[in-house]
Amino acid sequence: MLNINKTIENNTAVIALEGRLDTVTSPDLEQVLREVLPGLTELTLDFTGLDYISSAGLRVLLVAQKQMNRQGSMKLTGVNAAIREIFDVTGFSDILTFA
Amino acid sequence: MKQEKRKVSIIIQVAILFLIGILTTGLLTYYFVTRASEASVKRQTERSAAEIADEARHAVMEYPAHQWLIRYWYMHSEEMDIEYDAEFNRQAKTMEKCRTFSALHPEIQIRYADAFQLDALSEEDQRLYAEITYSWLTTRIDQIKRSNHVDYLFGVITEQPFDRQFFLFSGANPGAVRGTNYEEVYPLGHTVSVAESQQEAMREATVYSSHLADAGNYVDYYELLCSFEGHSVLIGMTYDLSGLRTESREQTRSGSTLAILNQIALSAICLGLIFLFVLRPLKKVQTSIRGYKQNKDSTAVIADLAEVRSHNEIGALAGDVSEMVREIDNHMDKIRTITAEKERIGTELALATRIQEAMLPSTFPAFPDREEFDVYASMDPAKEVGGDFYDFFLLDDDHLALVIADVSGKGIPAALFMMVSKILVNNYTMTGSSPAKALEAVNRQICANNREEMFVTVWLGILELSTGRLTAANAGHEYPVLRMPGGGFALYKDKHGFIIGGMDGMKYKEYEIQLEPGARLFVYTDGVPEATNAKLELFGTDRMLEALNKDPAASPEEILKNVRAAVDDFVGTAEQFDDLTMLCLEYRGEKKERNK
Repeated sequence: MLNINKTIENNTAVIALEGRLDTVTSPDLEQVLREVLPGLTELTLDFTGLDYISSAGLRVLLVAQKQMNRQGSMKLTGVNAAIREIFDVTGFSDILTFA
Repeated sequence: MKQEKRKVSIIIQVAILFLIGILTTGLLTYYFVTRASEASVKRQTERSAAEIADEARHAVMEYPAHQWLIRYWYMHSEEMDIEYDAEFNRQAKTMEKCRTFSALHPEIQIRYADAFQLDALSEEDQRLYAEITYSWLTTRIDQIKRSNHVDYLFGVITEQPFDRQFFLFSGANPGAVRGTNYEEVYPLGHTVSVAESQQEAMREATVYSSHLADAGNYVDYYELLCSFEGHSVLIGMTYDLSGLRTESREQTRSGSTLAILNQIALSAICLGLIFLFVLRPLKKVQTSIRGYKQNKDSTAVIADLAEVRSHNEIGALAGDVSEMVREIDNHMDKIRTITAEKERIGTELALATRIQEAMLPSTFPAFPDREEFDVYASMDPAKEVGGDFYDFFLLDDDHLALVIADVSGKGIPAALFMMVSKILVNNYTMTGSSPAKALEAVNRQICANNREEMFVTVWLGILELSTGRLTAANAGHEYPVLRMPGGGFALYKDKHGFIIGGMDGMKYKEYEIQLEPGARLFVYTDGVPEATNAKLELFGTDRMLEALNKDPAASPEEILKNVRAAVDDFVGTAEQFDDLTMLCLEYRGEKKERNK
């Protein structure tokens, strides 16, 4: 299950995730991003409460990163060790920004 | 097994209620009517007694000289010669006396003589007069008693302390005996002592002029006639109420009975109405519904229910049930359509699964005539079709290509992408590219047409069979596992490029590993380390290595079996979440160099 808390201020947004980002829950995040991203210049994804990410979740991140590359910037915070390893293995560490 | 609650017909339930109502009404009616009639009987009695006493009083007072007479009768009761209880026209003696007196005193009218006239008479004549009038009085009192059906009618003289009665007159029935014994009718002058209750009654009568004393089935009544010289003259009677009581009880009984019968009749009619207007149509509805349960014939149900034409809630119920049945029919049709559709999709999915399965090399042993190596692989999709794949093929006589890959996601979208990826990897590898170059070409191709932003992780290796040199590149895929001869399996942390399809223009680096005869290579997708049990724990690479090292020198098929068994054991009853794909290669080397 996934809880999504969004805080939007002008053109910046912080989206905090809690739970699992997998095949079942990724569409929820995809929907939220589709609504929030247009016109955004700064996006922060808070992964403090996130336990697990699967390839479906990676896909959503990739789409978001590509779009924010065109509009502004995107960074990730609170990434735990297990998820960091997934980023390393898949090479995502090279294209994502961590804070 | 359904346990049916014991059902009682509504008729019975209502009937019981009615029964209780009838009983209650009956009892209450009987009680209250009885009380009312008791009171009425008393009132009636008192009125009758007063009337009778009045008659008796008149019998005495019609003589103007009654005070004189009472006094005389009281004083001279012993000397008088009285003719008792003879009918008026049969009083021989008295009639004789009448003639005698009239002859002696023609100026006096016997009935209307007054005290003055009587005082002037001689003693003998006074006695004569007294005897005549007394006989007449007695006869009259007898008449009054008889015609009013009182048990006792008498006149007594009494004074303080009221413990004795002097009988002045006493009514008798025809044939009764005059005497002083208990059963006999008392003559003039008989004196009796009186019971306490009677004393009380007489006292009350002297004070209040009349008194009614209730003594069970009898009533005693005393009325003050007059007084003289300290004496009270009372008229007394005893009245038997049992006759009246019986009569009123009869009336009460018949009244109550009528009320109860009326109630019973109304109840019966009510029950009948309930049966006709509630139970029968309701049973019809029930039968229809039961029938529908049996044979699902909605037309029959609707036809039956249309016969229930009650203009009340039951009719409404019948209408509602008809509609419900129609709705059920509609609903079932919808479900039938949906189910058919689902079955069609299921069939097509099954076909797709078979197509996908056919794409992966699944004949084992794959290269029976090549003894330098043995390879075994398996793919278990989480859904009917999966996104993982493996591949192995000979590029030429000396080069074996090995592929393991994992498409983002699961199911049909991943399966379609998987087909494309596999073919591309196969093609570009076959054209003689090195692993790195091949991956770069595949990435370019996929990024060109990737609007849905799918991606795939790939590990690609090319083994030179004559030398044992393995050249490989990794595009975001899990670390491969190596076992050198004589040792155990361990993760080989190779350099990772970015996932295929993620970004255009990515470069990949390849690396070399020297395999000795007896070495084993194990590659897998994340379905293995990320297998989850019911407690949401992950299988992990440690457990995977443990399973591999259970028998590191086993054949690739055995090794895969061990890992699969360990995963199954760990996952237990939880659902398989991701595709499970594994490939294992055993390098034996050229014939002459073979060793474990």
